[in-house]
Amino acid sequence: MKLKEVDRTAMQAWSPAQNHPIYLATGTSAQQLDATFSTNASLEIFELDLSDPSLDMKSCATFSSSHRYHKLIWGPYKMDSKGDVSGVLIAGGENGNIILYDPSKIIAGDKEVVIAQNDKHTGPVRALDVNIFQTNLVASGANESEIYIWDLNNFATPMTPGAKTQPPEDISCIAWNRQVQHILASASPSGRATVWDLRKNEPIIKVSDHSNRMHCSGLAWHPDVATQMVLASEDDRLPVIQMWDLRFASSPLRVLENHARGILAIAWSMADPELLLSCGKDAKILCSNPNTGEVLYELPTNTQWCFDIQWCPRNPAVLSAASFDGRISVYSIMGGSTDGLRQKQVDKLSSSFGNLDPFGTGQPLPPLQIPQQTAQHSIVLPLKKPPKWIRRPVGASFSFGGKLVTFENVRMPSHQGAEQQQQQHHVFISQVVTEKEFLSRSDQLQQAVQSQGFINYCQKKIDASQTEFEKNVWSFLKVNFEDDSRGKYLELLGYRKEDLGKKHIKEEKEESEFLPSSGGTFNISVSGDIDGLITQALLTGNFESAVDLCLHDNRMADAIILAIAGGQELLARTQKKYFAKSQSKITRLITAVVMKNWKEIVESCDLKNWREALAAVLTYAKPDEFSALCDLLGTRLENEGDSLLQTQACLCYICAGNVEKLVACWTKAQDGSHPLSLQDLIEKVVILRKAVQLTQAMDTSTVGVLLAAKMSQYANLLAAQGSIAAALAFLPDNTNQPNIMQLRDRLCRAQGEPVAGHESPKIPYEKQQLPKGRPGPVAGHHQMPRVQTQQYYPHVRIAPTVTTWSNKTPTALPSHPPAASPSDTQGENPPPPGFIMHGNVNPNAAGQLPTSPGHMHTQVPPYPQPQRPQNGWNDPPALNRVPKKKKMPENFMPPVPITSPIMNPLGDPQSQMLQQQPSAPVPLSSQSSFPQPHLPGGQPFHGVQQPLGQTGMPPSFSKPNIEGAPGAPIGNTFQHVQSLPTKKITKKPIPDEHLILKTTFEDLIQRCLSSATDPQTKRKLDDASKRLEFLYDKLREQTLSPTITSGLHNIARSIETRNYSEGLTMHTHIVSTSNFSETSAFMPVLKVVLTQANKLGV
Amino acid sequence: MVSVINTVDTSHEDMIHDAQMDYYGTRLATCSSDRSVKIFDVRNGGQILIADLRGHEGPVWQVAWAHPMYGNILASCSYDRKVIIWREENGTWEKSHEHAGHDSSVNSVCWAPHDYGLILACGSSDGAISLLTYTGEGQWEVKKINNAHTIGCNAVSWAPAVVPGSLIDHPSGQKPNYIKRFASGGCDNLIKLEEEDGQWKEEQKLEAHSDWVRDVAWAPSIGLPTSTIASCSQDGRVFIWTCDDASSNTWSPKLLHKFNDVVWHVSWSITANILAVSGGDNKVTLWKESVDGQWVCISDVNKGQGSVSASVTEGQQNEQ
Repeated sequence: MKLKEVDRTAMQAWSPAQNHPIYLATGTSAQQLDATFSTNASLEIFELDLSDPSLDMKSCATFSSSHRYHKLIWGPYKMDSKGDVSGVLIAGGENGNIILYDPSKIIAGDKEVVIAQNDKHTGPVRALDVNIFQTNLVASGANESEIYIWDLNNFATPMTPGAKTQPPEDISCIAWNRQVQHILASASPSGRATVWDLRKNEPIIKVSDHSNRMHCSGLAWHPDVATQMVLASEDDRLPVIQMWDLRFASSPLRVLENHARGILAIAWSMADPELLLSCGKDAKILCSNPNTGEVLYELPTNTQWCFDIQWCPRNPAVLSAASFDGRISVYSIMGGSTDGLRQKQVDKLSSSFGNLDPFGTGQPLPPLQIPQQTAQHSIVLPLKKPPKWIRRPVGASFSFGGKLVTFENVRMPSHQGAEQQQQQHHVFISQVVTEKEFLSRSDQLQQAVQSQGFINYCQKKIDASQTEFEKNVWSFLKVNFEDDSRGKYLELLGYRKEDLGKKHIKEEKEESEFLPSSGGTFNISVSGDIDGLITQALLTGNFESAVDLCLHDNRMADAIILAIAGGQELLARTQKKYFAKSQSKITRLITAVVMKNWKEIVESCDLKNWREALAAVLTYAKPDEFSALCDLLGTRLENEGDSLLQTQACLCYICAGNVEKLVACWTKAQDGSHPLSLQDLIEKVVILRKAVQLTQAMDTSTVGVLLAAKMSQYANLLAAQGSIAAALAFLPDNTNQPNIMQLRDRLCRAQGEPVAGHESPKIPYEKQQLPKGRPGPVAGHHQMPRVQTQQYYPHVRIAPTVTTWSNKTPTALPSHPPAASPSDTQGENPPPPGFIMHGNVNPNAAGQLPTSPGHMHTQVPPYPQPQRPQNGWNDPPALNRVPKKKKMPENFMPPVPITSPIMNPLGDPQSQMLQQQPSAPVPLSSQSSFPQPHLPGGQPFHGVQQPLGQTGMPPSFSKPNIEGAPGAPIGNTFQHVQSLPTKKITKKPIPDEHLILKTTFEDLIQRCLSSATDPQTKRKLDDASKRLEFLYDKLREQTLSPTITSGLHNIARSIETRNYSEGLTMHTHIVSTSNFSETSAFMPVLKVVLTQANKLGV
Repeated sequence: MVSVINTVDTSHEDMIHDAQMDYYGTRLATCSSDRSVKIFDVRNGGQILIADLRGHEGPVWQVAWAHPMYGNILASCSYDRKVIIWREENGTWEKSHEHAGHDSSVNSVCWAPHDYGLILACGSSDGAISLLTYTGEGQWEVKKINNAHTIGCNAVSWAPAVVPGSLIDHPSGQKPNYIKRFASGGCDNLIKLEEEDGQWKEEQKLEAHSDWVRDVAWAPSIGLPTSTIASCSQDGRVFIWTCDDASSNTWSPKLLHKFNDVVWHVSWSITANILAVSGGDNKVTLWKESVDGQWVCISDVNKGQGSVSASVTEGQQNEQ
């Protein structure tokens, strides 16, 4: 296919292969006169611009020369690889002159473009060639057997390759060997070719067929085989190309007889040794395989002879031919259609006119049709055999799962004839692993999850942490798996309970000392001053007035003390008034603490004090609001401009157990695209999810959008490293996000195992017999089969009983048959009433806790749940159903409301944390829900005391659960019953002699409860009932000092006689004489009970 | 580490020109100068010849698997100027369609992202790129971009359907307006980006190579707001082109490396972070972008084996 043409009668030379862009230099031919018979001569340079579809070639420069040329070559002399235009144009002139031009100067338009000139030759210089190994060496040939070797570095004095051949003859062709740099061949119209060895400085062989008809017009060395060359003859009687091998120089190896008349020029492709161009007086341009003689291609030319033909060194598919009709044409041998060119012109036209009715005739133009016959003409078939340069010999392609598919074809040594060698055609499939650290860390994470060694894992992470923040994060995460997580959080925030406790002890002691001394006689003044008024009010029992008076007189302490005596309502009002008046720095904190308005703290604290705010929340917040408050604080931190604070938000989210927000916050702060930083995130997320699962019994199988995206990104990374199984394990399961489902399907199939039961829904896509028109986005993703594989995302809801049960076990009554507990008998479904109670009370939990199987199913993607294969289900040990071994935040109760600051000292914060009181929510349903409300309701701390007993729980406890489908509660129930005794044994009974204490106190609480009317009191009592467990525990352990126990017995006796004031006195005595820390856990409550009993008169 | 997990003896009788795994990585398609296309089941390290497909009359240059949502479909292109679409029906592979609309060697075939339907782009030495769209009932509609690359198109590669950044911006799954785009490389040393806006038109021309562009590979989308294309050339250069989709439509090249020989093929890993470069002298190298944005060779793969240097992979990622 013709690409370009230039109307010149000229010799031609392509720019060297290194040159970009490609130029074609033309020099007026000395032998042919053009139609004008002009004797002017010029040297021109054109650029080959293939992006220009027109046939015109862009002329870059014209230099008017005083010479006409017999030969023109362009050598890469002194050309660096990046030089734009360089090298040297070497021209052979009519009068024995050789002229060196600088092409860059020609293009630049300089006047002085000649580098050097030498006219040592006699007669026209028809043959020129540049040594491809030493580009400074140029060979030239002229009349009288003259051959010179020119060194461009020393142009003045040429060398000769040896003695002139005799008889003297013209040298028509000269060529350097393509493999051996010191070998040169020359040929003359007489038909003789001579091979010179420049090292020996003599001809080493003469090649001739002795026919006398080989008028050599062309000579070319084989590009690859050093000993082979071709000679072309322009004699019409012998229009052949002979292929010679110097090793058999007696006769040609092969003779190509494809031309009908003499051959004028040949060119052997450097890019493919099987392509030899020849043009002849039969007006043909042929491309033949000199190794076989086969004609591969005939260029469509006009009827003119071509006298020069050249391959483009840089673009192997391009060649140029100079014809006697005064034209140089550039062709591609790759065939193709010229329709494109024509069509482009048509397009140009129609775009100029516009397609629609350019002349306003009311009729749009008919589409232009290119006449059929031109179309036929314009299609040019390519070479019969593919040229070497399009035969891709090597390839490496990635495929799914980090696999790399490679193949390579060992280069065949092209011996003559180059027959196929027996070759192994192998394709290698390799696994590429580039992220070793990522994989090993992922592995560790999986192991931790599988073995449930979370604490260890976190500890290792803490030890390995390189930044304080990282350490903090891991410490926070670790705390989740430890007992008393809130307390430990506080410690992490820098609030050690022990320290606080000590301080309080001091204060307490002072007060204790002070109290007994207040017992002297005193006057009751009823005078008219404020004291008197107060006294009057008191004497009449008018607490309200008394309080008002005190407030008025700014006697805050008196006011509050009095208000306590005056009942809850009055107290509350008084507190409010107090806060309204008080202006101290910590008032807001106190306000919040007393009013339980944590939101206030979290919302309005200075963010610099986020630690303190978080500490407050950790200390006081109820479980139902705890997460929300942490979240709120986190959100505030996150929205703050300070990047340091932003990262701290992560800690809040960890406390809140809010995985999604953690992901969001982390992602914001980190570049998550690096595998290791993603690993950083995933480690935290996975651990936090486990923690949330354990502590909040939350259904963590629901995965937020962001987390799902991160997890699937993670799975993708794992898959890309070849860890398909791990990728499947981490991929969120119960999501119907199409991309995740697709990935899951892809991973399953990539594992190589046929997916169980994959027969019917074969792929997660609707098999499309594509509908006509625009096929929309993939439909039918939802038909994807749920594939069962290892995963950390339970499809199955956490069995509520498992978690609640350990909590609700009536530890105080070890002999109590477990079946008696509603939660145990009912198994998973429905959850125990107690559970429902909490769930209902806690709006957060209500959304998250599975309350019924029906609820569960709503979460499951809508396709039918396939029957699980019996054995195909091999989850890792079920993390989701691990028995609870630590306290349950949803059962966490805040400390007793501080209604009597003096009498009920703050005490050890730890004990406050630990003490579980039935607080506000309970009264709503506790009475009806618990048939035996006197039973210690929640006793999570027994678990705390024997954590090992629980972890040591036989694997059978958790394992069978894995297999239990949500609809099969029996297995679970069975397990509970089985494991129950193991657990009970760990509790000692209360010694008989002290059992009386328990029965007495509990009986008293019951009596109070039955006569109490206001819910607050009831709640207090419930709480007290729970807190007294500490006492019972101490009795069991027999750790109380004899003084205390005897004191307690005294109190019990006074209770039996309903002499509560006596009891209170004894109480005071005990408190004042015993070690505070020994009694702080239960004495305050006991006092509350006694006070209530006294008040209620039960 | 690059370690051979399966060596497949293809029994091809001549040079292999392409080898591609299917979507799942369980089947291997190969094609050769012996004019055949072969499909192997390579699960679990095995190699079972599933099909030996004959139909081309010249060397077969490339094969391409369609997305499995359309069934098991393989396209092949050959020096015989034809594109053949093969399809497995009831366990048997058969020729499903033959496209003979090119005047010269068809050098490259590439399926569009499955979101667009079943569309195949074919690049030919006749300079044209044709687009075959399945319209149902065995019918294929042909569109042709003539003169895309003078004297030949060597490679075509589609842009991912995901609008970059959409993962972050549209989590709700709201489908953005996809624009079909692909890149092509040719003997005019150019990379062209073609875009369908009613009809196909050239949207960009990327110039950096000084010789034939041998291959182009549009990187899979990983949710970042940049588009990336790798290109390799006869000139030995491999360029990584990036375009910040949000801010501009400007593509800037970064030289990955200049090899001493022609570079034939570039292939992105699925996660778009590693580029496999195969060049003359049968050299296969793996490249990765380091933290500071430089492309570093992490492995030399020889007969499927190689080690991976760790220097790049271990970025310091521990700072918070």
